[in-house]
Amino acid sequence: MSITAPPCNLSVQLGRLKLANPILVASGTFGYAREMESLVQLRKLGGILPKTVTRFPRAGNAPWRTVETAAGLLNSIGLDNDGVDEFIRGHMPYLATLETPVIVSVAGKTADEFVELARLLDPVPGVAGLELNVSCPNVSGGIDFGADPAACERVVASVRQVTQLPVLAKLTPNVTRIADVARGAEAGGADAICLINTVLGMAVDWRRRRPLLGNVVGGLSGPAIKPIALRCVHQVAAAVKTPLVGIGGISNLDDVMEFLVTGASAIQVGTANYFDPSLSERLVDALPGALAEAGVASVVDLVGTLRRNG
Amino acid sequence: MAALLHAPYCADQATQRTVTVLENVRLARDTYRVRFGFPELARRITPGQFLMLRLAGGADPLLGRPLALYDAVHDPLAAQESPPPSTAQTSMSSQSPTAFQSPVASQSPVEGQAQTSFPSSASSSPAPNAVDVVYLVKGRMTSRLMHYLPGQTLDVWGPLGNGFPPQETDHLVMVAGGIGQTPFLALAAEHLGLRRYGEPARQVPRVKRVTFCYGARSAGYLAAVEDFERLGVEVKIATDDGSRGRRGFVTELLRETLAEAGTVGSRPRVVCCGPEAMMERAAAIAAEFAAPCQVSLETPMACGIGICFTCVAKVRDDQGGWDYKRTCVEGPIFDAERIEW
Ligand SMILES: Cc1cc2nc3c(=O)[nH]c(=O)nc-3n(C[C@H](O)[C@H](O)[C@H](O)COP(=O)(O)OP(=O)(O)OC[C@H]3O[C@@H](n4cnc5c(N)ncnc54)[C@H](O)[C@@H]3O)c2cc1C
Ligand SMILES: Cc1cc2nc3c(=O)[nH]c(=O)nc-3n(C[C@H](O)[C@H](O)[C@H](O)COP(=O)(O)O)c2cc1C
Ligand code: FES
Repeated sequence: MSITAPPCNLSVQLGRLKLANPILVASGTFGYAREMESLVQLRKLGGILPKTVTRFPRAGNAPWRTVETAAGLLNSIGLDNDGVDEFIRGHMPYLATLETPVIVSVAGKTADEFVELARLLDPVPGVAGLELNVSCPNVSGGIDFGADPAACERVVASVRQVTQLPVLAKLTPNVTRIADVARGAEAGGADAICLINTVLGMAVDWRRRRPLLGNVVGGLSGPAIKPIALRCVHQVAAAVKTPLVGIGGISNLDDVMEFLVTGASAIQVGTANYFDPSLSERLVDALPGALAEAGVASVVDLVGTLRRNG
Repeated sequence: MAALLHAPYCADQATQRTVTVLENVRLARDTYRVRFGFPELARRITPGQFLMLRLAGGADPLLGRPLALYDAVHDPLAAQESPPPSTAQTSMSSQSPTAFQSPVASQSPVEGQAQTSFPSSASSSPAPNAVDVVYLVKGRMTSRLMHYLPGQTLDVWGPLGNGFPPQETDHLVMVAGGIGQTPFLALAAEHLGLRRYGEPARQVPRVKRVTFCYGARSAGYLAAVEDFERLGVEVKIATDDGSRGRRGFVTELLRETLAEAGTVGSRPRVVCCGPEAMMERAAAIAAEFAAPCQVSLETPMACGIGICFTCVAKVRDDQGGWDYKRTCVEGPIFDAERIEW
């Protein structure tokens, strides 16, 4: 039997975290993975991010929680979750059985809360990494760490001190200079920087003269925000050496390739899981074909290969 | 590996496919029935469950829409087995051609000849391979779907939700407001012993009597009443303007039905689907008569599969509090007494 080299290498390295392929699913858009078992072969995915967990249970915001807009979705779920204890008890045993790395998304109101979440999750079997959601627009106080480079550095560095797990920082686009915040995450020791969370927006019903979301404002996602996300990846790629994970509006293979050439080492599928639930698996299947078309033998060879104009 | 989440909290039988429209016919004012081939879904889905339907190949509207099972049928035009999952069909490129593929027939949606065929015995029929959905033209998706022709494609995933559990009763009373009638044809056929649904086919106790209290704005909106009558369902109608049946609220028909049931000593169960105010009223009337009542909630949904937390309703727990529950996986059918209206 002869051993032949694989036709192409999909694996990527995000700091301490090695992934079999660059197709992940975004926090808050894939439930706790169990919901997707019949629609997606979970083992094919590069990584799974369950819905963000907080220290204590949160009921979430009042309905309406989402509104469809032009090529997009506006949401104000408000981090509805049962808290980290219930997450570890009720969801981690199932998640730990998956062959796919599970990166747990956490959100704290304070740096201490982030640290406590990291401490609690660090010893739990099946946790392959942590994503710090320093960017959720639906919780008051949630956005501060993502808006201030120094605060971002502090929270990443504090978590870094209590765990050896890979730590990813997920940033908000709702800032003037995202590259500055990314430099903070890098200085704090992040293994990867994930771009972007949702874009603040609003929808109104003029006939009733009311905002449509229960929470008045919310976060925009879906194809409508892809150009914003690409711009953020481009700006941050020029500012840091830390690997990037692109998120925002990814709905087909072309979108994936655009993020990779712009500088993302991996991507997360978000809103598209809602309207095309088996997409993530199909992207993994189709990626080798696109790499061949691009004339590269590995994902790594493609990342950040965008040429200058002129 | 023990199930960590209650199985009904997951869409554990769902599959996604790009399907072909076989028929799209008008049933009543602003009301159509679309049929598409999807053998796995047709075999698995049970009354009260729903599917998500999305117009293939575009971003407007972006999201799928939840639609209840109207019926699972055998249609010779539907392929015996589905083509491979949407993987192979949906182009992975944003430059994909439009969804339109060679139409089987090129006629416009036509009025009338809606025929849901119920075999006389539950066992003799070939396995269903197509699904019927009845929809009201309301907004962005349905105003386009009404123009779809045979041969055009849709993205569909399901079966979703818990569906109606088998109803142990001698008298099943179904109450619908407007398009809320859609889950009840299959439920009635199943409980009258005329059809079986699910894989493996689920067993439901035979019900002697099925009454359908059906309310609509006016006579023109009443859809497929004959489908129900053909099964032997007792149909009672109310319209807002009195253009057919009783003038006024359908919930008054429920009150009369339950009052009469009391005099003959039967123990009715009530199932209800329609506008929220109507369901709340029906639930109150059922409670007055101590009749168990289940409602099918129509909460707005974005994913239908439990991953977005859009579709929450306030559901009471045993401790007297409430929590937001996802209607798409823990419902859409709930015991009425659990709902915090
Ligand atoms: C389990 C279930 C089963 C259903 N079964 C059927 C069925 O069998 N037949 C049928 O016709 N319909 C059914 N519906 C309702 C159906 O999903 C939608 O009403 C319909 O498809 C509307 O789609 P549209 O794009 O045409 O309208 P849209 O353009 O989506 O607008 C429909 C209406 O919903 C309102 N709306 C829009 N967004 C929101 C929001 N975020 N929150 C609250 N309201 C909003 C709008 O004001 C508008 O009046 C069911 C719903 C559920 C939850
Ligand atoms: C309904 C909804 C809920 C979300 N919940 C979370 C969450 O809990 N944590 C998080 O980090 N991001 C959350 N997000 C943001 C997504 O993970 C993603 O960053 C964003 O939607 C952009 O990607 P997309 O356009 O592909 O959806 C949520 C998005 C949506 C639409
Ligand atoms: S509609 Fe998404 S969780 Fe129910």
